Amino acid sequence: MIETQDLSKRYQKIVALDGLTLTVERGEVFGLLGPNGAGKTTTLKILTTLAKPTRGWAKIGGHDVEREPLKVKRLIGVSPQEINLDKELTAYENLWIYGMLHRVPDLKTRVRELLEQGGLAARARHFVKDFSGGMQRRLQILRALMSRPQVLFLDEPTVGLDPQVRRQLWDWILGFKAAGMTIMLTTHYIEEAEILCDRVGILSRGRLIALDSPRALIGRLGGYVLESLDKGRRRYLLVKNPEEAYAQAQGELEGVIIRRVNLEDVFIQLTGERLQA
Amino acid sequence: MDWYPIFLREILLFGRRLLRLGYVASALLMPLLYLMAFGLGLGRRVAIGGGTYLDYLLPGLVAMSSMINSYTWIANGLTMGRVYFRTFQVYLQAPVSAAAIVWGEVISGMVRGLFSSVILLVLGHVLGSSLRLSLIFLLTLLLNCLLFSAFGVVVGMRARSHEDAANFSNFFIMPMAFFCGTFFPVEQMPRVLQMAITALPLTHTNLLLRTPAWTPASLESLMVLGGYSAACLALGILLVRRYSE
Repeated sequence: MIETQDLSKRYQKIVALDGLTLTVERGEVFGLLGPNGAGKTTTLKILTTLAKPTRGWAKIGGHDVEREPLKVKRLIGVSPQEINLDKELTAYENLWIYGMLHRVPDLKTRVRELLEQGGLAARARHFVKDFSGGMQRRLQILRALMSRPQVLFLDEPTVGLDPQVRRQLWDWILGFKAAGMTIMLTTHYIEEAEILCDRVGILSRGRLIALDSPRALIGRLGGYVLESLDKGRRRYLLVKNPEEAYAQAQGELEGVIIRRVNLEDVFIQLTGERLQA
Repeated sequence: MDWYPIFLREILLFGRRLLRLGYVASALLMPLLYLMAFGLGLGRRVAIGGGTYLDYLLPGLVAMSSMINSYTWIANGLTMGRVYFRTFQVYLQAPVSAAAIVWGEVISGMVRGLFSSVILLVLGHVLGSSLRLSLIFLLTLLLNCLLFSAFGVVVGMRARSHEDAANFSNFFIMPMAFFCGTFFPVEQMPRVLQMAITALPLTHTNLLLRTPAWTPASLESLMVLGGYSAACLALGILLVRRYSE
């Protein structure tokens, strides 16, 4: 459903994306992982026709994003990282105008349906500027769903939200996945990627440095991590099992944590950097 | 009709902002002040072209106000929507053509320009102007609004910040407002300046708004305005089509 080949983007001397080649299958939830500046948003901008690549190509549903942008736009729904709703308009008006832009049939019914689905029906005629951050994010994702897209792009969909709202949005995304939608999301929340994504691509400084399911990536490192304090700095030691961790931790009781390996450990192993600032 | 959702959004936002007193005041304050100060102060005592100064001034203020309002809301709105709020990106990611986006913006800019013109015309008549609206007046007014809305799109697509858009206004819009025949005939300017002023579109708007009937000169002015409008529209569409972040 999404295909890229040697996709690259350069901003003067800065290489934002360098030779990204990947394929995302229909119905898959694919996560792009990486710290700020890794190239996640640039990838999404190219795939959603907002930026033109300087090298390589990308296709959505078989349509080239550069040569057939209108066909691509008919297939996609986008929720960008920043809230770009019209805050001086109501929730209903925001959805209505977006629906008109996408020529959604039976628009009135669709807008009502989405507002109910998002639990915003009672606030339909309220100005978006009066909504909480979580409500605005929900409305933005509802807007992306308006045209019943085949591919949904979510750029940091839960950034800045409290844990309760974040989990609520995870349930939504899992619901979209169950309905067969192809989803590409970017995140720097490890738990989010592990829970939601069938596969993840790890980006570092514009390059794809790993691509597999979260389970397979974690499996490559072994089972457990022993975290300890070494002269005030945290030290990470990969071990196969808790027994080995206990053996290694002997004599170091202060600040010792034994836990399962997660995607953050994969990222640190690959790049030497932490994923979350 | 792909332009209609873009137009509707802009008009809804315009309507909301109209409810704020400061917004309306800032949009109309300058031409209204000129109308009150010069229209009342000099209006009946000074004569230009066989009529009162108020009758001379009113079409000029309509030209200036329709230019400023059409241009400002589009240039600022597009710059802010594209650079800061990123609401413009919603259009770019929708299956609508670049031409539809530009027309939606331009028609909404025209409505804003016409709105300010109507207020000025009404106030002018209250103050005693005997200006009669002719077909050529209405056609010129529409074309002026179209031209400066389209110019607003060009600036809105090129400006990198709000300050950038303001600079375009200071260098292009404000000099036109003062030197293109709004307050006094262009013939009173030094000859060298006259040549430069004649090349500017607002000069032709002012000539046409004051023309009582069609003449070869007025047709020429109409063609100049049409040419500028077509060029700005084409450039605006090209800039939207080639947009890349």
